[in-house]
Amino acid sequence: MVFNSIHFVAFFVVAYALYRALPHRAQNWMLVAASYYFYAAWDWRFLGLLAGSTVVDFFVARYLWRATDPGRRRWALVGSLAFNLGMLGFFKYFNFFEESLAALFATLGWQLDFVTLNVLLPIGISFYTFMTISYVIDVYRGDIQPADNFIDFALFVAYFPHLVAGPILRASLLLPQIARPRTIHRTQVVEGLWLVGWGYFQKMFVADNLARLVDTVFGPSATPTGLDVLVATYAFAFQIYGDFAGYSNIARGVSKLMGIELNVNFLFPYFVTSPQEFWRNWHISLSTWLRDYLYIPLGGNRGGERRTNRNLMITMALGGLWHGAAWTFVLWGVYQGLVLVIARRIARLGGARGWRVPAGLTWPRVLLGLVMFHVTCYGWLVFRAESVAQLAEFSRLLVTDLRPSASTVGSLLVPCVLTIAPLLAVHIHQARRGSELAPLAAPLPWRYAVYGAVFYLVLLFGDFEGAQFIYFQF
Amino acid sequence: MSSSCPSSLRGEDSRRRQRATAGDEALASRRGKVNFARVKRLALAAVILASQFVLLEAAIRWHGGSEVAPAFQALFTRDPEIGHRLQPGASARFTTVEFSTDLRINAQGVRDDEDIGPKAPGERRIVVLGDSLVLSVQVPLVQTFCERLEARLNAAASGVRWRVINAGVQGYGPVQEWFFFDRVAAAFEPDVVLVVVFVGNDAIEAHDTRAWLDAGRPLSSAQPAIGRLREILRSSVVLQIVRLRWDLLRSKLATAAPERPLASYLAEPPPEVMSGVAVTRQAIEKIDGRARAVGARTGIVLMPARFQTDDADHRALSATVARAGGELVRDAATERLRDGLAPLELPTLDLLPVLARQPDRTGLFFQRNVHLTPRGHDVVAGALLQFLQDAAFVER
Repeated sequence: MVFNSIHFVAFFVVAYALYRALPHRAQNWMLVAASYYFYAAWDWRFLGLLAGSTVVDFFVARYLWRATDPGRRRWALVGSLAFNLGMLGFFKYFNFFEESLAALFATLGWQLDFVTLNVLLPIGISFYTFMTISYVIDVYRGDIQPADNFIDFALFVAYFPHLVAGPILRASLLLPQIARPRTIHRTQVVEGLWLVGWGYFQKMFVADNLARLVDTVFGPSATPTGLDVLVATYAFAFQIYGDFAGYSNIARGVSKLMGIELNVNFLFPYFVTSPQEFWRNWHISLSTWLRDYLYIPLGGNRGGERRTNRNLMITMALGGLWHGAAWTFVLWGVYQGLVLVIARRIARLGGARGWRVPAGLTWPRVLLGLVMFHVTCYGWLVFRAESVAQLAEFSRLLVTDLRPSASTVGSLLVPCVLTIAPLLAVHIHQARRGSELAPLAAPLPWRYAVYGAVFYLVLLFGDFEGAQFIYFQF
Repeated sequence: MSSSCPSSLRGEDSRRRQRATAGDEALASRRGKVNFARVKRLALAAVILASQFVLLEAAIRWHGGSEVAPAFQALFTRDPEIGHRLQPGASARFTTVEFSTDLRINAQGVRDDEDIGPKAPGERRIVVLGDSLVLSVQVPLVQTFCERLEARLNAAASGVRWRVINAGVQGYGPVQEWFFFDRVAAAFEPDVVLVVVFVGNDAIEAHDTRAWLDAGRPLSSAQPAIGRLREILRSSVVLQIVRLRWDLLRSKLATAAPERPLASYLAEPPPEVMSGVAVTRQAIEKIDGRARAVGARTGIVLMPARFQTDDADHRALSATVARAGGELVRDAATERLRDGLAPLELPTLDLLPVLARQPDRTGLFFQRNVHLTPRGHDVVAGALLQFLQDAAFVER
């Protein structure tokens, strides 16, 4: 079940009516049942994984809290990590490693018969396993107490707004909200409705329309010029943003309607001037997870420049692999790691020479923002490429064949600009006030104009075919 | 009671009443203000929504890019004798994500760069009747199967100049094809008439216009009020898109019946499918009779729907139909029309096997609409040439 389907709308109307009518404990029971139904609507066979992960980590965390022997605690933690990462590794990466190893041996002239399993990827597995892993580690570190109530914990893991595409929530944020009775304020309802509407706009108008343009260039029968590739890469940058930020906003909005606050997952990531800033604003829940549970445990920036660079590369390469079982994702992670390493180097050199970027909307900042946007866009080309061969070919075209084709302007550039312009118009206003809720505080005529534009653009030009969200595959 | 009360109490009571009255007035005034503010906000919202509606209407009309855009709609005109037809002398550029095509309608009202005058000595003509799959606004004229067929015929023939006339019109069913041939295309002095039957929806469209066939002209089925409402709806591009959205929404509901054209493929088709096949037969019989009267021979070409050759498309549609409780039989419509038209004993070409045996079947039709790509047109032109030779319409 996807957020942009009639099925979800009907599901949410029924679930919300029940939610408003029930007392607190019954609300939690009902939300667990609704979340399992939500997941089963995609494929009921994988409910066992979700339930298994919930049961194992609920009891492991309680054991970790009670146990005092450090050795036993460590083994319990390792057991939980092995279970979660093993599950993730098998379902997400088995086919990838099996095919990659077979290909490697084939290049050496050895034909090996590996066990061939057509392993299906359970939707959302990367998100909920990361949540349960962070929960167990937080309890192990003594940062949080384990959940007392199994239903509360089951809801934390399976809560339907975040279940299949995040945000990756921390137990310290969500569990207390689940455990105590919730009151729904009028402000939350207004903000929730705006976030849901804005999320649908980002997904159905921006992302889905740009997807059509992008697919014509990245498709198997396309013969684009370098300029086509450039425009399609710009389009993909906004497609993936609209797709994922749209999903996150719908998740946040739906939660607000139920009196539950989720964390902000995207904060104007294309209005930044450095890679570090980009990762503080893009998929915030994943980047902070990688920082807290991978980069810092690896040593972080302690231990000198070389070790810091190594830690960055490992973190970003694994972050890339988290996005999908393909070499292009690994390459994308390595690229992001390199960009961070180079940016740190430049920042250090610039700091030594007294370079400073003036604050506010100044030309140096705008230029730096444009450079950063293009650095990010090349990353998206790596990310979107169908294969390493296509990436190499498109990279070559960008350098050697930057001319328009017959369809560049009419079929690519104009639709791309018309799709992105309304998003940017609202975005600039939001970014200047630092919040996606900024339109709610605008003068009445402007507010109504934004509501009207969002309504019309989704109704007239949105994709109503229920296209999948890109991040479901992660 | 009041007369028995001390005067001080009476005064207090009176002051209390006055205060209460003043309070009520203030409350009423506040309520009035609240109501007025609410009305003002509603009025503001209505003005903004209406202004945005007008702006979008103008923007879509200016930009085009859709079949509902006026630039495209200007290619068509109403005709009381046929229903609608192509506007003689009209031209437009039709651009979508998948293609950008310059369209020109000649003085006789068919898609062609040249007008159609009296036949020159040694000239032979083929008129191809059909709907949007013949008109083919998705590809340049030179890439349509009609033009490709003409080129191949002329390359093969000696001493004869062939002209293949594309008489397809968007939205036509068999009955309108008959009207168009009778009123317009018969005057083109054809030697051969090919009726391209789109098996996907022609039976249903024929059923819907069966009363027209009996009356010999188009009939208006709508009540005057509904007719006026439709006029308003059709005059607004925005409202037309909203209507399409509404149709899509209805089709997505699990309880909704499958799209009507798919009814021709159902294992258990509704009665209108077989009725439509009978009407199609009658319409083609009339075309054949009129063609004979002007000295022409008639052939039938069965054009399949995209999903009959595209496996992924077929899977998706089968699932949609299954959700609605039906069963989709992939080639049922082709078989029903082939069997239904057999009594006419006219030479018939079924394009399904021809298209189905192509190596890259997904490249025969566009992905975002159900019409032939340039490669699809090329394959169809080759099959038509073979058919015309096999059925002795043309000499080898």
